[in-house]
Formats: sequence, C-alpha cells, structure tokens
Amino acid sequence: MIEPYLAFHGVTKRFGDLDVVAQPFSISVARNEFVVFLGPSGCGKTTLMRMIGGLETPSSGAICLEGLPVGGPDHRRGMVFQSYSSFPWLTVAENVLFGMRYRKDLTEQQKLARRDNYLELVGLYDFSDAYPNKVSGGMRQRVAIARTLAAGSDVMLMDEPFGALDAQRRERLQVELRAIQRRDAKTIVFVTHDVEEAVFLADRVIVFSKRPARVMADIDITERLGAERPLELRDSPEFFQLRNAVLRLLREAAGDEE
Amino acid sequence: MTDISETAPVTVPDPRTAATAPRPDPSSIWAFRGTLSRRAQIGIGVGTSVGLLLIWEAVARIGLVNTTFLPSPSTVLSSMLMMVQKQNLLQHAGISTLRVWVAFILAAVMAIPIGILMSSYRVVGAALEPIIDFIRYLPVPALVPLSIIWFGVGESTKLYLLWLGTFFQLVLLVADDMRRVPHEYIEIAHTLGANTRQTLRDVAFRAMLPGLVDNLRITLGWCWTYLIIAEIVAADSGIGFVIWTARRYMKTPEVMAGVVVIGVIGLVTDQLLRALHRRAFRYL
Ligand SMILES: Nc1ncnc2c1ncn2[C@@H]1O[C@H](COP(=O)(O)OP(=O)(O)OP(=O)(O)O)[C@@H](O)[C@H]1O
Ligand SMILES: [Mg+2]
Repeated sequence: MIEPYLAFHGVTKRFGDLDVVAQPFSISVARNEFVVFLGPSGCGKTTLMRMIGGLETPSSGAICLEGLPVGGPDHRRGMVFQSYSSFPWLTVAENVLFGMRYRKDLTEQQKLARRDNYLELVGLYDFSDAYPNKVSGGMRQRVAIARTLAAGSDVMLMDEPFGALDAQRRERLQVELRAIQRRDAKTIVFVTHDVEEAVFLADRVIVFSKRPARVMADIDITERLGAERPLELRDSPEFFQLRNAVLRLLREAAGDEE
Repeated sequence: MTDISETAPVTVPDPRTAATAPRPDPSSIWAFRGTLSRRAQIGIGVGTSVGLLLIWEAVARIGLVNTTFLPSPSTVLSSMLMMVQKQNLLQHAGISTLRVWVAFILAAVMAIPIGILMSSYRVVGAALEPIIDFIRYLPVPALVPLSIIWFGVGESTKLYLLWLGTFFQLVLLVADDMRRVPHEYIEIAHTLGANTRQTLRDVAFRAMLPGLVDNLRITLGWCWTYLIIAEIVAADSGIGFVIWTARRYMKTPEVMAGVVVIGVIGLVTDQLLRALHRRAFRYL
C-alpha cells in the first residue's frame, strides 16, 4: 500500500475536559489535493488544522506527512490566518522575503528571485514597497499567500483566509488561489464556513458534525465538477446542485441547532 | 382598510421644527467629532495660551491679586533671565536632565528585558507579578526616608528614587505591550522555522516596539515628577533645589521660573519623542 501524503491516524483532541475530537479521526490527503473542512462553528476545524501545522499536538494518534509524524511547526507547513496575516512593520515585498528568512539552503540572490516571482504570481509586484495597512484586505491575504509559497511550504493551511473580504474580492481570490494551487502543485487544507467557497475551491470537501467532531461526509468535488474551476462554473446547474447537496449535509451536521 | 388620510389629516411636519437628527455643517470647527487642519490646531493652541498669559498679566498689573503670590508672566520671565545669568539656571537644568535620563535609562534597560520575559514565560510572570504589583503602589515620597537611610543624601539617593518611581511601572507596561502582540505573529514566525530567540527578536519585539516607545515616553514624564521630590529632599543642585531655595525666601517669580523651565524641558522632550515615533513607525 502506498503511504498517503498527509494522514490523520486515529487522532483525538481534548482541551482539559473539553472533547474537541472524541472518536479517533482518520483521513488521508493526497499530494496536491485541495481539501476543505466545513462544519458548524466550534466543531474543531481550526484545531484539526492547527494540529497539522504543529501548533497543537493530538491527545492521541498521530498526523503524518509523507509517512513521518509531524512535530512542531516548520516551513513545510505554512499558515495563512484570517487576521494579522502579514507583519505591519514590513513592506509587502519584505513580508514575502521574510518567508525565507530562516532558510539556510537559499542564497540571497535566490531569495530575492523567489520573492519577485511570488509577488508577480499573486499580482502584488506593483505594491512591493507599500505597507500592509495601505493595501486592501484582499491584498494582505495575498501577501500572506505569497509569503507561504515563497517559504517553500508544501502544505498550505488556511483558516478562513477570505472571511473578512467582500464578495467580489473573495471570488477573485478564490479563482486565483485555485489557479496557484494547480500551477504550483500545493496541497491545501482550507477551513471555511461558506459552502459555495468550499465547493468552488475543493477537490474534496469534508463535512464535520458538531463538537465532538466526526466526519459526516467526504465529498469528491473534482469527480463531479472537474479540476478546472473558471468563475463561470458558479453559474452552472451542476455547481448549484452540488452546493445545495453540501448545504443540506451541513444543516444535518449542525443538527438540532436549526 | 380605509384610506387613513381621509379620516385623520396627515400632518406635514414643519421643516423648521421637524425632529430630525441635526445635520451639522461639517466645515464648522464645532462639528461633533469633526476634523481640524494641523495649522488651525496649532493656531488655536497658541492663541489660547497667549490669551491666558495676557489675562494673567493684566490681572497681575491691575493689582487684582497679590503679586507676591501670583507674579505676572513678564516678572517670571525676567527673573528667569536673571537666574540664567546669575544663578546658573541652565546648569541646574542640565544636572536635573542628566539625573532624569540616567535613572530613566537604568530603569528602562532593566525593565524592558524583565517585562518581555514576564510575558514570554508564565513562570517569570507568575513569580514577579505580585511583588512588582505591590511595590508599584507604594508612593515614592513615602520611601524617601528609607532611601536616605540606605544611600545617604548623595547622588545615588536621587537616582534610586527616580528608578524606584519608574522601574516597577515600566516593567508592567512592557509586559503588557508584549502580551498584546497578536499570537498569530508568533505562530507565523514558528511556521517559517524561527526558533524562540529569533521569534522574540524578529517578530515579537518588532511588533511591540511602537507601544514600547510610547510607554517609555510617558514614563520619562513621570521621572520628572519624582526628580523634583528627590531634589527638594536631598540636593544642592538641580531645578528642584533651585525652586526649593527660592521658596525659602518667598521669591515667587523664581519659584515659578523654575517650574516653567521644567515644563518647557518636558514639552520639548515629549514633542521630540513623538516626532521620532511618527518617523520610526510610519507604517502605523
Ligand atoms: N487552546 C484551547 N484551549 C481550550 N479550548 C479550546 C482551545 N482552542 C479551541 N478550543 C475549543 O475547542 C473547540 C473547537 O474550536 P475550533 O476553533 O477548532 O473550532 P472551529 O470549528 O474552528 O470553530 P469556528 O468555525 O467558529 O472557527 C471550541 O469549543 C473551542 O472553544
Ligand atoms: Mg475556526
């Protein structure tokens, strides 16, 4: 059997006497897969993702990357947060460069070249010298994405990264992120509350129950919608149907709350 | 449903008395929470100050108050000039400033690392917080006798009193600045491969710096308060000494001149540090 790229092996998590994940949780994520975690508020999505990043440790079980249990955080698993995603005292370009600050295997030249490359990729080259407070919220999230890419993360962990953006910016960034993920061959674990966002971005949507988190559904989106996700896809009946199906699942998962 | 307007006449509100929310003229200087150009702000500030001085001068000249208690601004100014020439006022001011800065730097150099450690490691915080919180509430003047017993009346007593007044406050302020650094920044640094030392230096310290500089500026102001106490109690030099000596001979203009000198030094330092803050932290 081939070792999966990223895997949860019977993971549980407790905070004191609060069970976040009670039933041992196992899933595996393939290399270059875009996985979206969807679930009711407080069910433990962030916690699961932080465990991948090494920012929390499982109470039992293990999370493995390429067969090896993950330890503390390192640059192979990059995080993009919803807020405070970039450093305000560094310019856009310096923020991206900071992603490689602790990499000893790159020369200064290589770092600068990578910085410019990723600034270009996320469309921020013209804003290189701006400070984050002078650019829009969407641009700040792109700074964080470019920083994570430049750092050389193989796995990008994104916790509601577009949560604070208006609908239009959000759609644009979704298209861009999906394109970047395809082009740069990244594995992404993405948390959102927005069903449309989940279906549009994901190769696979995992729907969680209320806390303690259990997997309610594991839906292969690419099988149904294909890997290419142009903006027009949102208007297609297939997308609409799938969105509704996932929405129903999420309502069920939320259970008697509704 | 019948047409209401036929049975009950609709009253059209008189626009002059209509109870709508007031719509203030935004260009008025009285606009609630409005803005004011920098020039206008400076102009109004200077105008008010000059106006007050003029009133004060007039009151003193007309003789509405006893000038022994409230000499006119012009008298204060001329005694200040006299003091500069005959009493080495500038030298005393220099000595006081030096004392403030030495004690302040001493306090800062100790408070910054300790404050940072308190917020970085729970053990350090838990160990030091009760002690520091307690000492912080001791009024500095109450400690004067004790410090004279310990250090005599030399230079070290004054420095010690100033240090005492600022160090404990500053430690807690620094600890607060550090605590307020968003945890996301720390986690970003960790996921980029920074170790603890690198995270502290490159991210946490950098993130707290604007707040830290602001708190240093505020604490420096407190230093001046304690300086005067220290110099009144035990000194033969410095502005506090000058003021206290002048008081003994009821030379009110000289007392006031001394106070004004402190005010001016404080104002200038504060404005310089503010300007520095604006320049250094342009990204804010
Ligand atoms: N460090 C912690 N200590 C104690 N409890 C925690 C901690 N982190 C999270 N929790 C609790 O664990 C539960 C799951 O939190 P988590 O943030 O993972 O949920 P979530 O699915 O991301 O929620 P949301 O959709 O609102 O972001 C919540 O009840 C939360 O209060
Ligand atoms: Mg969350």
